[in-house]
Amino acid sequence: MPDVSLDTLRPGDSAHIVSVDSAHPLRRRLTELGFVRGAPVTVIRRAPMGDPVQLRLGGALLALRAADLRLIQVRA
Amino acid sequence: MSAALSPQTLVPDAAACAATLARLQAAHEPRVVVVGNPNVGKTTLVNAVAGTHLKVGNWSGVTVEKREARFQRAGRTVHLLDLPGAYSLSPHTPEEIITRAALLDEAPDAVLNVLDAGNLERNLYLTLQLMDYHLPVAVALNLVDEARGKGVQVDAAALARLLGVPVVETVASRAQGTGTLVDVALERATLGTSVRYPEAIEAAVAALRAEMAPLDTLPPHAHRALALALLEGDPSVRGRLHATGHAPLLHAADEVLADLAAQGADPLIEIAEARYALAGDIARAAAPQAQARRTLTERLDTLALHPWLGVPLFLLLVLLVFRLTFSVAAPFVDLIGGPLQTTVTGWATAALAWFPLGRDLVTGAIIPGVGTVLSFLPTLLVLYLAMSFLEDSGYMARAAFLMDRAMRGLGLDGRAFIPLILGFGCNVPAVYATRTLERRSDRLLVSMVLPFMSCSARLPVYVVFAAALFPRRASVLVWALYVLGMAVAFVSAWVLRRTALPAEGSGVLLELPPYRFPTGAVLWKHAWRRTASFARRARTTVMATVAAVWLLLAVPAVGGAAFASVAPQDSLFGRVSDWVSPLFAPLGFGDWQAAGALVPGFIAKEVVVGTLGQIYLGEQAAAPTPLGLLAGLGEAVRGTWDAVVASVSALPTVLALPSLNADAGASLQTPLAAALAHAFTPAGALAYLVFVLLYTPCIATVGALAQEHGRRVAWGTVAYQLLSAWAAAFLTYQLARLWL
Repeated sequence: MPDVSLDTLRPGDSAHIVSVDSAHPLRRRLTELGFVRGAPVTVIRRAPMGDPVQLRLGGALLALRAADLRLIQVRA
Repeated sequence: MSAALSPQTLVPDAAACAATLARLQAAHEPRVVVVGNPNVGKTTLVNAVAGTHLKVGNWSGVTVEKREARFQRAGRTVHLLDLPGAYSLSPHTPEEIITRAALLDEAPDAVLNVLDAGNLERNLYLTLQLMDYHLPVAVALNLVDEARGKGVQVDAAALARLLGVPVVETVASRAQGTGTLVDVALERATLGTSVRYPEAIEAAVAALRAEMAPLDTLPPHAHRALALALLEGDPSVRGRLHATGHAPLLHAADEVLADLAAQGADPLIEIAEARYALAGDIARAAAPQAQARRTLTERLDTLALHPWLGVPLFLLLVLLVFRLTFSVAAPFVDLIGGPLQTTVTGWATAALAWFPLGRDLVTGAIIPGVGTVLSFLPTLLVLYLAMSFLEDSGYMARAAFLMDRAMRGLGLDGRAFIPLILGFGCNVPAVYATRTLERRSDRLLVSMVLPFMSCSARLPVYVVFAAALFPRRASVLVWALYVLGMAVAFVSAWVLRRTALPAEGSGVLLELPPYRFPTGAVLWKHAWRRTASFARRARTTVMATVAAVWLLLAVPAVGGAAFASVAPQDSLFGRVSDWVSPLFAPLGFGDWQAAGALVPGFIAKEVVVGTLGQIYLGEQAAAPTPLGLLAGLGEAVRGTWDAVVASVSALPTVLALPSLNADAGASLQTPLAAALAHAFTPAGALAYLVFVLLYTPCIATVGALAQEHGRRVAWGTVAYQLLSAWAAAFLTYQLARLWL
């Protein structure tokens, strides 16, 4: 299955991180929060107005905006 | 499992460990910094460790607090520095900048790293980063009870072996394990194993350390950490090194980075991956049978973050906080502003009978002025308790998640919603509520625009004018003023965001911590400290300002009048009002009376009505009857009891819907209303109300702004508000003249 960006996943979907857009300033932050190659990620839900998105990464719950999820490539 | 991690780790040599430990044990007044991710219970732990002997030190000038607890242990004075939560030591937030600076500059004798046992892998990332600082470390494995509830059982002994530092299991909220923790930290903290990065990275670190070796300006313990930060391209480390004259080191780093890039290496990613790989290995080895169990947090989130129920539930909670704050605190506000102030005024009148001028200054300016500011204290205390509860329980992060989309148009994130809404009650606590925002530019932006949110002190002015000039459309007018305030706040935020205060960094990225029930002691400590720091200011800024206004009212501007016994229009105050009144002529209220009433309104908006009454009706404040010491005490005790009763009986009503014009009826047809109807044209009155809505809310808000963001920001905001108020009132008057 080809890599897709994380914003295309639906609630309940799980995948593994492949990469984070290397040109974006948020990359440092995302990398340090655990968006590293191979890390498992699950989309839990979207906020009532569709955005941001709640994720489980490792043991932690995080919320990111959909625009930022586009920086992250994942593989199911 | 044995420590089969050696290829990934660097174990410090025994001699270095022994030397570190010896230094720590010999330290006369050891300084221990407490480091950990947000929401792992650091502050609870510090409170549990230091107990009632906690002496809190505030570092003024920094927005984000770091606190120091001092206490005695085995004959030594231990300094425990509670640093703000950090996910990483490559700083992204003001909290992380403070935490990293403490590690670099304060050369602590030991580091106490607090871990959340239920979220080990993420927490160990920071731990492994900490190990690169070559400081003695001890680990508090906190929240072990909560982790067990999730089905996570951490083997503390295995963790200690893998990290190479002592580990103590704790449940800080019940003070379990906290007693031994300090002893372990002081007796056994040592250099831990650190990550062994890929060969190319280690070679680059070695090269940069060789550059640093001859420099005595860099703390030797931090050489490895600094080299890694340079390889990660950490902008704040580069900035610091540049500012401290280490340009040659930066050149060397650039060359090393170019070499790495030529080899196809990506240091930022490789360093993070190596840390996470080791953190994952250690977490799996120390907590092998971690099984996912549907937690209470997940069950609560299905309700709190529900697609339809989430937002109404949040708005209901905000309403509850709002009502709780203002209805429970109101009787105490009335007590401080009423009976207590009367009592104190009575005593001052009696005590200063021999010195009439001093008596007038104290009873006519200082007591009412400082009293007004102090009357905010109950409101602040209740609000801080409620806010701390929402924050510490984990709900605030959910609120931000829910409201993020709605706030995005302003370039803000969801958290900004709460301070803005609180501004409707009182702008002062709302300014302090901006502390929950992560980015400094957001705190500044929200603090600058939230005074446009119409606080409850402005309501009496609206009501009097509405009753006098627009009796049939009073409630629509009051409603329209609230909406106008919001509109000006939002437009200002939009403009400021695109001009003076562009967003730092990007997007919202927040952790939704597990729900916890905060302990009463921690809530009380948070709330009390912040309330007390507000009270301290009442002595300085406020006292000076009210004394200045009093002086303006006391100094005669005409010949023959005596000091402090002059009619308002003949005082310097009257003269100044007269002098500035032409400024207000284009707004439709260019007489000195209307302009003059705005000046004390700078101290508190509710004073505007009183001043208008004094000026238009010639009312003098009734001279207080001097009370004897005992009678005064009796009054005060009776008043306090009444306030407690009123406050408790207000509790069941906090869920009732607030009414905007509750006291409009009472104010109808007063002599003042009649005088105003005579003195103002309808268009001028509208402009006056718009001006009252938008100009500086009160001296206490200015003080709060100065405390949070510095004097320059505070006075800049005042200027911005005066200009906005003038412009909006001008537009209102000119437009209203066409219709009214």
